[in-house]
Amino acid sequence: MKVLNSQTSITRRAALGAFGAAAASYAFLGGTRRNDIPAGRIVLDYWEKWTGHEAAAMQTVVDAFNASQDRWWVNYLSVSGLDRKAKIAIAAEDPPDLLGLWHRNIPFFRRSGALMSLESLGRSRDDYASVLRPILFGDVQDAAPTTCSSIALYYDRAMFREFGFDPDQPPATIPEFDEVINALTIRDQDGKVERAGFLPGDPGWWNWSYGPFFGGQMYDAATDQAMVNSPGMIRAYEWVQSFPQRWGLENLRRFQGALVDNPSPYRNFFSGRLATTLQGPWVAKFMQEEMGDNLMDYAAAPFPVDPSVQDAANPHGSIECDVLVVPRNVRHPEGSLAFVSFLQQPENLEELASGHGKPSPLVKPSASFLAEHPNRSIEVHQNIMVSQNAFAEPFTEVWPEFSNSLGAGMSKIDVLQATPAEAFTQVQEEVEAQLTRAAARRALRESRL
Amino acid sequence: MKRDGFLTFLPWAAPWLAGFMLFTALPVGLGIWYAFTDYTLLEPPIMVGTKNFARLADDPILGTVAWNTFFFGLLSIVVGTVLSIALAVLLSKPARFQAFWRSAVFVPSVLPLIAVAAIFKLGFDGELGAANQMLGLIGVEGPNWFGSGAWAWAALLMMSLWGVGPAVVIYLAGLRDVPKQLHEAASLDGVGSWGRFVHVTLPMISPVILFNVVIGIINAAQVFVVPLVMTGGGPGRSTYFFAMYVYDQAFQYGDMGYASVLGLVQFAAILVLTGLVLLLGQRFVYYRGA
Repeated sequence: MKVLNSQTSITRRAALGAFGAAAASYAFLGGTRRNDIPAGRIVLDYWEKWTGHEAAAMQTVVDAFNASQDRWWVNYLSVSGLDRKAKIAIAAEDPPDLLGLWHRNIPFFRRSGALMSLESLGRSRDDYASVLRPILFGDVQDAAPTTCSSIALYYDRAMFREFGFDPDQPPATIPEFDEVINALTIRDQDGKVERAGFLPGDPGWWNWSYGPFFGGQMYDAATDQAMVNSPGMIRAYEWVQSFPQRWGLENLRRFQGALVDNPSPYRNFFSGRLATTLQGPWVAKFMQEEMGDNLMDYAAAPFPVDPSVQDAANPHGSIECDVLVVPRNVRHPEGSLAFVSFLQQPENLEELASGHGKPSPLVKPSASFLAEHPNRSIEVHQNIMVSQNAFAEPFTEVWPEFSNSLGAGMSKIDVLQATPAEAFTQVQEEVEAQLTRAAARRALRESRL
Repeated sequence: MKRDGFLTFLPWAAPWLAGFMLFTALPVGLGIWYAFTDYTLLEPPIMVGTKNFARLADDPILGTVAWNTFFFGLLSIVVGTVLSIALAVLLSKPARFQAFWRSAVFVPSVLPLIAVAAIFKLGFDGELGAANQMLGLIGVEGPNWFGSGAWAWAALLMMSLWGVGPAVVIYLAGLRDVPKQLHEAASLDGVGSWGRFVHVTLPMISPVILFNVVIGIINAAQVFVVPLVMTGGGPGRSTYFFAMYVYDQAFQYGDMGYASVLGLVQFAAILVLTGLVLLLGQRFVYYRGA
């Protein structure tokens, strides 16, 4: 039997040849550059969170920018886990030229000095709705809005008519809303819920937001204090907890576990199993995509509030805002600012907002924007955007940790493991510790400057 | 001569050495350093002494994630060990299509865990999942799997059994090494098949069991991808595990210093638990020829 000699089985020349072949293959075949970029353009990488029709809407604006001049070329990239990847890219000093974040990311990035000033845009705070100002401006403007949303109550007008409610007079207060919920809810003889008038946890994206509808506030930005167990918050979540109490926890679990042939997060509302729902303005676009010609006769209204805080002129509602920032140490700050400036032109912001089915981030949108908008209730959203009672998630860098604690407390409320007062006392303790720690970390950093 | 051997070895080992230094030794060293600093990732680290270690004492979430991880590890190791030994015994018997069955048990572990977790998440979806559809076929109303802690744990445990393939292969190899004479002698003494399994097979494969349990401890202590994708740690913090907490501290909350401390605690816990199991192994594991 022939024994291979390990010294001679692979010669040094063969190994070097293999390495050389690999290097040559990479040089010729690897790292190819996109060939649709015109020669002479400087490429700006733009990381954004959107996919599907939302990405397509932004691509339209990007294409318009690329066509509007011959120096820069914005390369739009949909990136998942964007905020975490951005932190690592900025820490490694290789950030994208443009970065599309969620508004909740801004406090951390701003506090860390990771954002470039956008003061050269020449925008005034008054150009934006008051609720957006702390999001976009620190000491100076360092974030620009891309699309913003306000959240409202959506309902099926036909269902309202069927049960004797006027679809043009949706409930404005919680007692009125409870009456509607009870009337529209259908339960079988065993108590199982077949249709829910409303469910606070469906789709579950704004579970944190019920406090202000009852006059509650979970965080005071002026004093940097947590107020999770304040009376308004507790009253709000007592109302939230009344749903498993009135219909039975197991019945609700069964309702949520029932088989529905639709993978969409809007499935319960679109299928009629849920009569009303808390939703964003984009729901109209998804309704069009999923229901086509069988579009329901929907409408939106500000979410009902406790009579003690009712203010018809200033509706309550949460807002969220996607923002465009320029990270520090970008390769081409001039090009990045040119794109931000282009996007901030009202017609471009409105085109993007319309493509997403969202309201305009500007205080005064154009008449054509409102008239041609794909969401027939866009004015409801637009009114909430500029309302004095609009509110956002607590604007603090500890919000990710804060919301984790809040979520844990709310889960106990949902499954009747604790009363809101008990659950929120624990959350309050956790959040106070988080805020104290964050303040100490800020002080430590400031002492080193 | 020795020098020649070293010079020949070096270029061949260099890629591995470079990778080890860059992706293991350096991060471990940096992790130890960061544990003594305040580091947000976006700003330079600042030395804070043992402040991050002191925080361990009054962290209200640490106990929850440590208990969840320990309990999940215990359950998944016990259930996984029983199942993989049972499968290995079944697969060691002569059967038609034996190679197919063996492959079928092993192949799932080749798939990327994140993809499998995404599939299982859909499978256990209360409204759309295959699990509830199958239960529906036999007239059982399926639960809202991710709506309660107990059912979420059940789903995670079932998912953890997906990767028993490698353990089964190791047990199969162990079973082949059990001398036939011992079984024959036991049979002649009138010992039944269950008795032979308990008194012959199990002691003979006990070193293999020990090896798989140690690997199981290391894997369970680092459980991350599956609960992250399937439950996100919820409901509440019922499926929030240690590695998820480390990740959140580092990349969600921007506290790399405390995350590094948690990483060191995790390492120490794995070390202690492995040591304990090895100590127990000295008492319960039978080594042939020892």
